[in-house]
Amino acid sequence: MEASSKARLWGWNTALDSAFVRGFLLSLGIILIAVPLILWLLKLARGSNAERQRELWARYWSWLIFIPLMIGPVLLGAGWTIAAVSVMSILCYREFARAIGLFRHRAISLFVVLGISGITFAIADHWYGFFVALTPLTIACIAAVAILEDQPKGYIQRVALGIFAFLLFGVCFGHLGYFANDGNFRAMLLWLVACVELNDIFAYIVGKTLGRKKLAPNTSPNKTVAGAVGAVILTTAVAAALGKLVFQNTEVDTPVRLILLGLILSVSGQLGDLTLSSIKRDLGIKDWAATFPGHGGLLDRFNSLIFASPAVFHLVGYFQGIGLDQMPRIITHG
Amino acid sequence: MDQWEYKPAQDLDISGAERLRSVKRESGLLGFLARTTWWFWVHTILRLTERIQVEGRTNLPASAPFLMIANHASHLDVLVLATALPLRLRNCVFPLAAGDTFFETPPVAAFAAGMLNALPMWRKNCGHHAIEALRQRLVSEPCGYILFPEGTRSRTGQMSSFRAGVGMLVAGTAVPVIPCHLRGTFEAMPPQTKWPRSTNITLKIGGGCRFEDISNERNGWRMIAERLEQEVRALGGPA
Repeated sequence: MEASSKARLWGWNTALDSAFVRGFLLSLGIILIAVPLILWLLKLARGSNAERQRELWARYWSWLIFIPLMIGPVLLGAGWTIAAVSVMSILCYREFARAIGLFRHRAISLFVVLGISGITFAIADHWYGFFVALTPLTIACIAAVAILEDQPKGYIQRVALGIFAFLLFGVCFGHLGYFANDGNFRAMLLWLVACVELNDIFAYIVGKTLGRKKLAPNTSPNKTVAGAVGAVILTTAVAAALGKLVFQNTEVDTPVRLILLGLILSVSGQLGDLTLSSIKRDLGIKDWAATFPGHGGLLDRFNSLIFASPAVFHLVGYFQGIGLDQMPRIITHG
Repeated sequence: MDQWEYKPAQDLDISGAERLRSVKRESGLLGFLARTTWWFWVHTILRLTERIQVEGRTNLPASAPFLMIANHASHLDVLVLATALPLRLRNCVFPLAAGDTFFETPPVAAFAAGMLNALPMWRKNCGHHAIEALRQRLVSEPCGYILFPEGTRSRTGQMSSFRAGVGMLVAGTAVPVIPCHLRGTFEAMPPQTKWPRSTNITLKIGGGCRFEDISNERNGWRMIAERLEQEVRALGGPA
């Protein structure tokens, strides 16, 4: 393996080389210090609404746990990032499988997990051909292994759910990991994750402030049309502005392309959220799991990244390619 | 074509220590792999260290649900009973373990739940609803239980009388109860010791009993416990 590939995978000492990463961390630090002060001032100014305060503080503490878990691997290196995305994919699949009952079909679950592991290997190897090939191969394996139960009743359901799960948590989330094969992966991933989270926050704030008409009351009763439109406008603006710093002097660095990127990110983020909400409503559950008391499971947190990751990946890939500056197949040909 | 039917995990809304102690607990691929590895090693070590003889394997049920009961004199009992089961039955069996011993502290509960796949049976303050939850699970899904109806390990090696709890699980149901008798586990690992020593262990598996016609009330439970106690004593032969 070449020294440059090793440095990308494990070189934590280059984490702060990018001006965007330095600025991002500084801004995040300021926000995390400012939030408790703002909460305290709100309490003083408006009097104490104990329940609301408790909810806001619970959210703040959960972010203090989530942020290091999300940012830490990205700063440590591409290897850690790929591993973290892989663990997240498997844990999200676990939540999904337990919610729909697929976990009882262990052979199918095994092949979904093997598919996700294969995707992880393809990403770590920077072997895009294998990354693409794993979709039909895993689908074939899931369909084949489901025959072993010798129970035709429910076969379509089992296989379809297994394939659906693999596509969501293996392939879609895999694109998030594949960003790590680009030399500029830290800035791109921090930008993507931050914008997707901001998208949720904008939708929440605008919806609470201006929201009247429900967006899809049967799917997600708290979402409003104003929230969705507000999030698209604000996220597109923020993503384009920050994207200017991330994609400086690249093929993406034109106003039209940056705005298009922000637009796609916002819309696909919201669609991911709504898709997972639809599945929850179909199942009749409120949260995907009870992993984080008051906040549900990992999928409740990462649902917006599911479609945003491949959408942004392929748009950036279309304009400038991803990982073209790095050696491919660093393990199999290394 | 039938409509799609989703059956979420019954323990979806609980997590952490509470989930380990729940009788609704359901495990997936990770639990299955952990237990398969665990039972493989237990089986191997028992075969290497103890001389185990199993009689009456043909009496084992072809499929779940079932309830396997035996006299109880040692922690080895559950290991010998579980490893006597074929793999397809072992994968769906839940030993019922004393809640106050195996589910009080999180590390022990994690071991009991993760490796043994045990479900808790609370000996003190145990209302009918706790056993009712176990009964419901036994009749509604393909699973098996291993239960020691004496309620605790014998301190002398002699079998004591069965408690009525076993009757509460199966009275009025078609679930077969497989009576078993264990000899030698007390000598191998009595309650006062921490490590087993090598000895001869005999497991006798009796024919299944069903209690469909026994009413699910106090007298019925007592009758079932007495009948099963007789079956196990008969398997053990003259004292």
